[in-house]
This record gives sequence, C-alpha cells and structure tokens, in this order.
Amino acid sequence: MTEHTPSTAASSGDPATSFLQQHHFLFRRLHSLSGILPVGVFVIMHLFTNFQMLGGDFQHEVDFIHSTPALLVVEITLWLSIAFHAGLGLVYTFSGRPNVRRYRYGGNWRYYLQRITGFIALGFIFVHVATLRWRWDLFGWFTPFYVRGFDGQPLAHATTAMALQHARWVVAIYLIGAMSVVYHWSNGLWTSAITWGVTISAPAQRRWGYVCAALGIALTVFSLGAVVGALKYHVTDEDRRSIRMTVDFYESGGTDADTKPRPHTATHGHE
Amino acid sequence: MATNTDQKTIRFKVKRQDAPQTAPYWQDFDVPHPPGANVISCLLHIAANPVTADGRTVAPVAWDCNCLEEVCGACTMVINGRVRQSCSALISELAEEAAAVTLEPMTKFPVVRDLMVDRSRMFKNLIDIKAWVPIDGTHALGPGPTESPANQDTRYALSRCMTCGCCLEACPQFLLDNHFIGAAAISQARYFNAHETGKTLQDDRLEALETPGGVSDCGNAQNCVQVCPKDIPLTESIAAIGRQTTVHAIKSFFSGK
Repeated sequence: MTEHTPSTAASSGDPATSFLQQHHFLFRRLHSLSGILPVGVFVIMHLFTNFQMLGGDFQHEVDFIHSTPALLVVEITLWLSIAFHAGLGLVYTFSGRPNVRRYRYGGNWRYYLQRITGFIALGFIFVHVATLRWRWDLFGWFTPFYVRGFDGQPLAHATTAMALQHARWVVAIYLIGAMSVVYHWSNGLWTSAITWGVTISAPAQRRWGYVCAALGIALTVFSLGAVVGALKYHVTDEDRRSIRMTVDFYESGGTDADTKPRPHTATHGHE
Repeated sequence: MATNTDQKTIRFKVKRQDAPQTAPYWQDFDVPHPPGANVISCLLHIAANPVTADGRTVAPVAWDCNCLEEVCGACTMVINGRVRQSCSALISELAEEAAAVTLEPMTKFPVVRDLMVDRSRMFKNLIDIKAWVPIDGTHALGPGPTESPANQDTRYALSRCMTCGCCLEACPQFLLDNHFIGAAAISQARYFNAHETGKTLQDDRLEALETPGGVSDCGNAQNCVQVCPKDIPLTESIAAIGRQTTVHAIKSFFSGK
C-alpha cells in the first residue's frame, strides 16, 4: 500500500515495530479480513456441523469434512489465520483504554465486550484444539476426538459426548467459549462493515446490525443445540471399549498421518 | 462577601492543578446562582471571590472560554462526569441531576492549569490531514466548480465542528500518550474531500489517514457521536473515510508507484 512516512510514528528504531508501522493500514485491514473470512467462515461451518448432533447425521457431516483433500493444509491455514488475527488483536487491544464506567453507551459496551470475548475465544480455541484435535491430556481431561475407530466404527458423536460429559465445568467452558466466539465474530462482522466503508449512513449501519444479530442468534442456536446433542448422547460400554482400543491402537504406533505421537502414554480411565 | 439571600447556593467540586507537572487536588466552593446561571458565570463568581467552602482564600480557578454561545469549543471540560461546554451547562439543569457540580479538566489533553488544557494536538492533526481548500496562487483561478445543494447539506453538518475535543475525550482509542488522530480530524478530512476544489488534496489526506494513528485505529465504540455537542454524524464520517481509504489503498496497490 502507500509508503507514506508518518510524521507521528517514524521515530521507532525497532525493525519489527517499524515494519508493522510502515504497513500499518495493510496490517489493520488484513487483521479485519483474517477474522471475517478464514476464521469466520470456518466457525459457521463448524457450528452448523456440530448442530447435527441434535437429531442430524453428525457422523456423515464429519466424514464429509474429513474427506476434504489436503485437510492438513486447510487446518494449517486456519491455525495461522487465528494466530495472525489473535497476535495483532492483542497488540491493538492494548492500544486502547476502555471507559465503559464513564460512558455507558451500547456501542461502548460492544467495543469492550469485543475485546473481552477476544481473550476468552483465544484461550478457548487453544484448549479446544489442543484437547480434541492434538489429543493433549489437560488436567486429566483426556478426551481425544476420533472420527472413526481403528477398524472404522463411527466415533464422532461418542468421543464428542465423552468430552462434554466429563464434568460440568467442561460444559460451562464450552458454553462460555462458544458464546464468546459467536459474539466476537458477529460483532466483528458489524464493525468491519464500518471499517471497510461498506455501511456508511447510520440507518445502513443499523440495518446491517440486524443482519449480524440474526447471524449471531443462528450461530448461538447451533452451539446450544450441539451442546445439548452431546449431553443427550448415551455413551455405551461398547463406545468406551472402542475408544479405548482406538487410543491404544494409535498410541502403540497405529498410523494416522494427522496425529503426532503423544509423549503421555499412560492408560486413562473414563469410567 | 455579601450575597443576595434570595439566591440559592450550589456546591462546586473543582479538580485543580497548579502546573502541568504537579499533582491534581480537589477544592470545594459554594456559589450563589441566580436564575439562568451557567458554569462559566459561576466560575466568574469564584474568580472574583476565591474562597473555598471551608473559608480559605485560594488562588482563583483558571479556565478557558471565548464565545459563550457553544460555537468555539474553548470552555470544554468534564462536568458531572460528562464532557461538554461549560458555557451551555445551566446550573438549574445540573442541580436536578446532582447535589453538587463537579468540574474536571479533560483527561485526553495536557493540563495547563486547573480546568485549562492544551488542545494543540487537535490543530496539528488538522494540519496533518490538510484541512483546507487549496486556492492560494499567483493569479486569479476564476470561479470554482458548482456545489450541489445535496452536497452542501452533507457538508454543512460536518462544518459545524468547533474542534472542542468532546469526541476525543469520550473515545477509548484516543489517549493522552498515543497517536490516534480521532473522530474530529477524520470528519474534517471527509468534509474537505467532499468539497469540489478541496478534493484535489484527497490523496494527501487519505495517505495521512493510512499511517499509524490514522482512521484504522478507530475501535468503533461510537462514543464520539454520542457526546458531540454539534450532532455531527462522526461515525458516518469514519465509515466514509474507511471507504475512501479502502478504495485508495486498492488503487495504490494496483496502479500506485
């Protein structure tokens, strides 16, 4: 973009800082774009897929996603997008100072919540991906997500249900985390329309606000439905046996290109 | 001092500061207020009778004012927690919302003394975005292009900005120690970009607004439009400049140097 030397910020000698400053506008716009497109579109797909746990064919949807060619490339793109968005977001967040106690306007609360939910979403997404996707064992909450068992039996719903049914605090974390993500994306979609100059007049901003609110409500319904669907699932002894055998299979060297061998190989009791 | 016994008295709590680098402190004053009194007339009373509520004679409170009809912006301060002009803050209305009138200097500008602040950053920002119409030259340029009535209406709303700083005081992104240019200057860039002759400097303005501290540092809290005493559609200006910078940046990417 424009190589205009700023009069206000040209003083910094730190090369990383001055690179960010020279391309300040570009990075701000990419920060906005990275939140809307890769991350946001994925969140819509993800929550709609999860919603299928409530009466839909969840296994079929997950199988479909896992049949995506070069899925790992898609995943890495998402992880990098989230890291980029979160990293810059943290820098930008600390460039402001919330003042909701003095100025209690709705817009000011949305500004404040956007930053709070950003922090929560970052922590939640990390824990979520680390436990289910990377199969980390966090605080004894070992709930690896498997689409299918080592011999092909469907496990998507059962492993998700076991993860959520582990304890009430897990449900609380998922509800708070998912609501934070939904708010952050819906409100971000609204403000991005102002940032990019899509909605200019106050009535246009209001109309687009209704659209974003409707999207947010739909995603909230999807999330709540998914949690209910996971909690309603009855995990049978057969499921537990399949999951245990699948975990053992992969831990003793079974091949799964996406799965890194975990250092932690102790047996885990879920019963 | 002799006060008219018919007059009501109201307590003023004033945040004072002797010099830019010294610590602030609070003093109370009891001020009689006739009907129609405003904060400035009460400050005039304190200047003439600088005696605190507990009877000490102190240095008079310093403040800034000029037009006394809410068009210059000089007397802007934080009154009962809300940033506004003190000339149009009527005591009768303030007395309804609180028992005392609390006066503080704006927090986003360096304090000169007591309620006086240095707003020169706002004027520097106007220079940065070239908030003028370039007509100076060595020969007559003839009449300018015609301005449509619709464009005049849009621009009239923006022209009411008096650089008072309310929008910046309420903004969570505009801080004493950062470089954000703020809503007032962004809106003035839109104002001059919409002028048929002023738009010849549009690229310069947009490039200035694409630097760190420019329009993209807006956090969309939209407090600015809530507190603007002139009802300027500041958030529409920010969105309009958002569109102009988006288009300008894309054009620069594909056809710029």
